[in-house]
Amino acid sequence: MNIFKKGCMTLLGVTLISTQLVACGSTTDTPKASESGKAKPVEITWWNFPSFQALDGEVGKYEKQLIAAFNKKNPDIKVNLEMLTYEAGPEKLNVAIASNTAPDVIYDAPGRILDWGKKDLLAPLNDMITDEVKKDVSPALMKQSMVGDQVYMYPINTAPFMMGINKTIFEKIGALDLLPLNKPDRTWTFDEYKKALEAVKEKAPDVIPSGFFAKSQGGDQGTRAYIANLSNSSFFNDDYSKVAINTDKAGAALDWIAQGVKDKLVVSGAESLTGADVNDLFLQGKLAVTLNYSPVLKAQNATLKKAKFDDVLVPFPTIDGAAPKLEPYLGGMAVFNNGDQDKIAASKKLVDFIANDPEWGKKNLIQTGGLSARNSITGLYNDPEYTYAELARKFYGNPPTVADGYAEIRTYWFPELQRVLIGQATGKQALDSFAEKADAAITKAKAALKK
Amino acid sequence: METRVRKLNTPMLRDWLMSYLFLLPAFGFFLLFVAYPMLKGIYISFFNYSLRKFTFIGLDNYINLFHDEVFLKSLWNTTLLVIITVPIVIVFSIFIAMNIYKKKELARSFFRGVFYLPAVSSVVSITVVWGWIYHPNYGILNYITGLFGAEPISWLGNTHTALLSIIAVLITTSVGQPIILYVASLGNIPTSYIEAAQIDRASSWQIFRKIIWPMLMPTNLYIIVITTINTFQCFALIQLLTSGGPFYSTSTVMYGVYEQAFKLGNFGMASAMGIVLAVVIGVISIIQFKYFGSDVEY
Repeated sequence: MNIFKKGCMTLLGVTLISTQLVACGSTTDTPKASESGKAKPVEITWWNFPSFQALDGEVGKYEKQLIAAFNKKNPDIKVNLEMLTYEAGPEKLNVAIASNTAPDVIYDAPGRILDWGKKDLLAPLNDMITDEVKKDVSPALMKQSMVGDQVYMYPINTAPFMMGINKTIFEKIGALDLLPLNKPDRTWTFDEYKKALEAVKEKAPDVIPSGFFAKSQGGDQGTRAYIANLSNSSFFNDDYSKVAINTDKAGAALDWIAQGVKDKLVVSGAESLTGADVNDLFLQGKLAVTLNYSPVLKAQNATLKKAKFDDVLVPFPTIDGAAPKLEPYLGGMAVFNNGDQDKIAASKKLVDFIANDPEWGKKNLIQTGGLSARNSITGLYNDPEYTYAELARKFYGNPPTVADGYAEIRTYWFPELQRVLIGQATGKQALDSFAEKADAAITKAKAALKK
Repeated sequence: METRVRKLNTPMLRDWLMSYLFLLPAFGFFLLFVAYPMLKGIYISFFNYSLRKFTFIGLDNYINLFHDEVFLKSLWNTTLLVIITVPIVIVFSIFIAMNIYKKKELARSFFRGVFYLPAVSSVVSITVVWGWIYHPNYGILNYITGLFGAEPISWLGNTHTALLSIIAVLITTSVGQPIILYVASLGNIPTSYIEAAQIDRASSWQIFRKIIWPMLMPTNLYIIVITTINTFQCFALIQLLTSGGPFYSTSTVMYGVYEQAFKLGNFGMASAMGIVLAVVIGVISIIQFKYFGSDVEY
């Protein structure tokens, strides 16, 4: 009988666990606005990458203060914050969207946001973007915020991706005049750039003249813009229907990089280094020129330097010193369409508060370390490098992130760079091979969107 | 009614019922967390499942997979990884176990600890350390080879060395458990068998071949099957050390599953890859059971 009793208890236990599991999985109806018209409390979830610099070294602390300030003005909206990391966040988002548990609002970049917009996962923000805002944001940034006529990302902070140079090394070797720092727009030619690298190689043999990386897709905006500018090419054609980087000149630029590894002008083992690895070498004072830098990264890296040196921002060189085409970093907010109009409206209020609140709007921008997406908002920082970065916004070119199939296209880029670096293909062969795969991905993505 | 209750209370039926009740919790978890995801994976593999799109496309995912050069390359890399890693793990583990199982308790525990440490350490920490060992510019491996006059090598960036470098790390993380199991198994072999063979002047090789090896067969079977499965599913090392590069020379099927599902959001394609891998592992495991299981005597 005892055994029977124990068995019954086990069965009861299993039943209880099952009930709990079912309870965990059940969905609760979201409260609808009351018929009387009185505002009902709304709960929204905000997923945030580390877009704001951590306050006192604590991730999410600044965001919590921001939410508290938002709640003072909007006491009926409860904001649940979840911090993401750049490493695991994208995967978490994919799984959440596929399993219908996407957040209500997110601070992210156009690469992912436009992809979600194309797949009808987001609520349009057209009602938030007034004509005044549209006129105040550069066309390159607006392009990165829209799919067709629909605005899916509210642009907030920006920064041009450029090269970072260890100025102190050039000062030490007496070659500061080889850098274009005396020009207001700091543009320079490929030949001038080569001379600067040769000077480092010759006079500072323990320093690697320049960086390059192709291990993974992280930071690929650096390698894309580098090759495109060294060859005066564009990554895509104007209507984003085809890849345009596979020119003879771009192939030659890539060949020069591969040869540069052998000539000790470019870091060795670039095929197995990430953008972060190369920036680490830069922060350790072992690298003179890094490719993937911006005012935001400069601000974030200030405390991570392992050696004392001054870093300056310069644009990528072009063959003839013509105006470079820089890829813009853009940060902004998007609202997921999870089928609840109250949550969408509440999320928009949060977006508006973060971007435009008279007190917190400016504070938020400074906390990102970036510039305002609005041309009229300048002079946020008392730093000559930021002043230059504001000027360099005029070099914004067509952003590759808006291309259909962009996520897939990125997966073909770095393996082809690796192929050149390990000597299995010439620059032109690799770029042609990339173009073939990327064009097929664009066609496939366009076809999928039409369905 | 009374008769029916009396019949239900018969000891046999009660035991039967009890057995299944005790089995129920584990079986429930198995169904929920193993069987259901597996069946769902098979189901999803017939769909174009990308984020919120879910359309039936029949065998298209499988057809596309076998026309995809990168997948075929990944399948080959995975097979190569298994072919090289599993025999080395088995031979190395037996070699170490044979050398330590007769040692004193303290020495035996020390060696078991040394070899088991990578198995219980975080794979991420281990990989970070190995990443620095292999670093093309500041790695200790290039420093050591440099002492002998060798030129620095980009160990993870060279198509000839990248997969071998991964295999070296994989071996260090895979030998811990087999060594523990072999030491335990060797300790269970009656010494009288070996002493009798020695009296008959059997050589060390003959003793190993005719006595020790057959006695290790149950352990061998388990270790070979488990190591094969684990090697087929190698992912973290690839993701952290090479991201499948250079030019797909270390890309594996599991890395492809990750890339398709979590980077590109193609859950249907990722499921199809997972199913193909499961079928390959299943077939190889059956073959291993057939050939290594026939000699097993429990």
